[in-house]
Amino acid sequence: MKVRAPALLAGIIVGATLSLIGSAAVAQPIKVGWLSSLTGPLSSAALAENEGVQLAVEEINAAGGILGRKIELLTRDTAGDPTKAVNFAQQLAFSDKVHFVIGPVNSGEGLATTPILARAGIPNMVIGSIDQLTDPKKYPRAFRVINTNMQWISSANDYALKALKRAKVAVIGDTTGYGTSSAKTAQELLEKVGVKPVYSVLIDPNKTDLSDEMSKAKAAGADVVMPWSAATGLQARLLNARGDMGWDVPVVGHPALMASQIRALLNKPEYWENTFAAGYVSTTYDAAGKLPPRTQELVDKMRPRLGGKAELDILFWWVAMGYDCVRIIEHAVKAAGSTDPAAVQKALEDTSRYEGIYATYSWGPEQRNGFPDNNMAVNIANTFKDGSFKLAPR
Amino acid sequence: MKKSATLVVAGLLAVTFPIWAGDQYQLHLAALIAVFWVLIGGLNLVVGYTGQLSIGHVGLLAVSAYTFSILAGTQGLHPAIATAAAGALCGLFGLLLGLPSLRLPGFYFAMATMAVALIVGEFIMANDGLTGGGIGLAAPTFPTPFDSPAGFYYLVLALAALVTWLTWNVARRMWGRGLVAIRDQPVTAQAVGVPVFRAKLKVFVFSGVTAGVAGAVFASLQSYITPDTFVFELSLFFFVCIIIGGRGSIVGPLIGTVILTALPELVAPLAKLGNFFYGLLLLAVVLLVPEGIGRVFEVISERLRPRHIASVPVSPDLPRLARALGARR
Amino acid sequence: MWSVLVSGLATGALFAATALVYNVMFSTSKVLSITTGHLAMLGGVFGAFFITGLGLPWIVGLVGAVAVGAAFGWLTDVLAIRRVLARSDEHLWLLSTLALATMVQQAVGLWWGTEPRPFPRLIPQDFSAGITDQKFWLPIGVAIVMALGLELFYRRTMYGKLFLAMSEDAFAARARGVPTDRIRSLSYVIAGAMGALAGFAAGQLTFAYFALGLTLTLNGFIALAVGGLGSNLGALIGGAALGLLNAYSSYFVGGEFQQTISVGLLMLVLLLKPEGLLGSRSTRPV
Repeated sequence: MKVRAPALLAGIIVGATLSLIGSAAVAQPIKVGWLSSLTGPLSSAALAENEGVQLAVEEINAAGGILGRKIELLTRDTAGDPTKAVNFAQQLAFSDKVHFVIGPVNSGEGLATTPILARAGIPNMVIGSIDQLTDPKKYPRAFRVINTNMQWISSANDYALKALKRAKVAVIGDTTGYGTSSAKTAQELLEKVGVKPVYSVLIDPNKTDLSDEMSKAKAAGADVVMPWSAATGLQARLLNARGDMGWDVPVVGHPALMASQIRALLNKPEYWENTFAAGYVSTTYDAAGKLPPRTQELVDKMRPRLGGKAELDILFWWVAMGYDCVRIIEHAVKAAGSTDPAAVQKALEDTSRYEGIYATYSWGPEQRNGFPDNNMAVNIANTFKDGSFKLAPR
Repeated sequence: MKKSATLVVAGLLAVTFPIWAGDQYQLHLAALIAVFWVLIGGLNLVVGYTGQLSIGHVGLLAVSAYTFSILAGTQGLHPAIATAAAGALCGLFGLLLGLPSLRLPGFYFAMATMAVALIVGEFIMANDGLTGGGIGLAAPTFPTPFDSPAGFYYLVLALAALVTWLTWNVARRMWGRGLVAIRDQPVTAQAVGVPVFRAKLKVFVFSGVTAGVAGAVFASLQSYITPDTFVFELSLFFFVCIIIGGRGSIVGPLIGTVILTALPELVAPLAKLGNFFYGLLLLAVVLLVPEGIGRVFEVISERLRPRHIASVPVSPDLPRLARALGARR
Repeated sequence: MWSVLVSGLATGALFAATALVYNVMFSTSKVLSITTGHLAMLGGVFGAFFITGLGLPWIVGLVGAVAVGAAFGWLTDVLAIRRVLARSDEHLWLLSTLALATMVQQAVGLWWGTEPRPFPRLIPQDFSAGITDQKFWLPIGVAIVMALGLELFYRRTMYGKLFLAMSEDAFAARARGVPTDRIRSLSYVIAGAMGALAGFAAGQLTFAYFALGLTLTLNGFIALAVGGLGSNLGALIGGAALGLLNAYSSYFVGGEFQQTISVGLLMLVLLLKPEGLLGSRSTRPV
């Protein structure tokens, strides 16, 4: 009795202290860094993705957080500047000590920040499409959520060559970093299947008139034009040139061809016909005009937050992707049981067919690109309605 | 006396920074400031002392960053050799750029330098076999002991100190006065024998060399360079640091660099409005303290401790003067 | 082949108009403002806003856009030039105009958006008009009209003569009772109006895009330098030369070397004839 009382007392004290520490740890928020280019290039994409991220964070926090811990979102505007992105990545990693980083949006910034986050060992949800952003050896904790550039180019090439049965391709890129490398990749992929482009050119994205380039493409005998540029101005001018010269060649290429801003920049709405772009199953209407149920659910949730307009005017896959990034973090932490980076890495590597809204993701020990090929689709560009598109006919 | 005391204290703070810095991010930021200062210190002689409106130094930075990454990364040379090669190449570049352009009047020279920066950007994009084009290149780190954040910080701190010492020496000797003379009164300077063109060219080449060294360590610090890093706004940033710091001073631009590099980090929460406030701040400084921050410190120190100019009353020796005048007649 | 010529002349006309704006600003203040390109941007953006956004007839949109440009020109003078010139420090105006240019670009980007937005069709015309399309001929016409207008202004009106007087010797003008500050303000207002008009005319070519300013400042300067500072005919020639060079080089070589070639032209002219094709060699008595 006498010996046990102090031990019991000590046990109670230790137990109470541990549970206090434990609950303090449980109450510690999960910090998620969000490197977004809210101003500058690709800001429309970043703003839309931001909506998705914010919604997911709010939903999770309202439901009590992940494993009882709320998510604290730290947003940093990198304005498309890699030096700023590097500084903010460093700030998030070492000063704010975040547990996860989403982004950056621009591939150019991503190329600079991914090594830094890898060195700091912080799990990184990659949303840039350039293929070099993921590497299981160099960046073991970088997991890509978006599709790769190769997937965009391959599905477009596949549609042009197999579905439309064309053989004489004109490849058009712009003079930005993304444009030059995508045009090069497009050419390589075409040549791998034995198709040599009949015309290929790089155009300054602010060039005011593209009728010369389109005339040259026509003169070279092209029967399909494939533009790889994220600049909506350039895409609109290309379609205008095609329409003004009365050339009915199909245009198959980058998703920017489907952007809603293009409609306003076209001389005539008909110029948007016969245009197809790489897209996603998740944001494609089926034959009955219905979206996949999970996408529809998210659209309905987002509508009041995006101004309550009757029709959304942004590409919905951006929103869905931002939403999925946070949900994937939730999935990883739950599967790992903690925010320990190594456990999270293992949890994500073991993830197979995780059903998000934007796609059904699978990663692996040697696979850091989670977007499956069969979630890619090709859409008819001018069927934009409420953020999604119709499937291109085969 | 007081000035050297503050300098010593500041130097001590800088040297011991890794110990009392909060975390690696602050260390990275301090290293970035030091790297920028290596370039801006050299550029200070061109802009602040000689008054040349050079706004194209981002092109030189890009050339040396890519040279370093290619030589030390792809080709596998030792980083120190690659840095020296980058510095030499940029010095040569400065010579080639300066020879035709330095004879042009102010704004023309500015536009010529800006245009060269744009050409470098295009060249990088066009030669993607060499430079990786839009994808960019990875830049290697320096060998131990410089591969840790603190070690690298000391490396760039040493380089920054070297540049500061060199430019300070130039500034306070006859050379510096010659440069200021060229800036303020070029015709008079030429009339009294200052070799205007040669002086301008020499400081321009020197600024090229410092830009070269800065580019190499900048690439190593960023660990990955892409063409998006070297935008024209960076060149304007360098120029602005000098003007805000105050022309004709070494300490002023140094303070300017520290403030302007740290500022975007501090206004980070402002997100979308960041760039707008940067412009607003610039305008405010230009309108309110156009001589720069260096001058503000001078004014403050004058107020606190006004220099006593001993007044010596002049009392002429009147009798002797009278005698002398009398003797004249 | 004709389409290359016409599109080159059209973009060249925009550069030429910018060079004319530079000339007007320079004549009274000896300042080359970085905000020059942004005036055209404002003209295009506000033109699109008034006509498409607010649904006003295009004449009202034109007047509105020009008014915005004039207001910004006046603002440039008040904020960036007046105090800086008073301090007789040469290069501060580069910094102050740069600050103002950054601010206006960011502000417009935040309000208008960062994507290019459409500029409306002003005169009903079919889109298959090819080289006779108004998007080419509007800027060309406006540039020529502006140059002629400026010549008339300088030769026939009192204010024009005051501008010339100020550009030759500001101190002498002031000694003769010319209110130099007010004349300078007036010149900036006129320059702002001209810049906005040029941007409005070229809107169908460039779309209403917030980031036009800086490249147009550079290209307008190249046109100015090639043609000669202070010469209006030189501005037209310089602009045409630059526009044609850009168009033909991208036709034959592709878009990768655009900047290199334009700058090459600048450097070539500056090396051979530094004062420009029609500029006058300015020697200062010492």
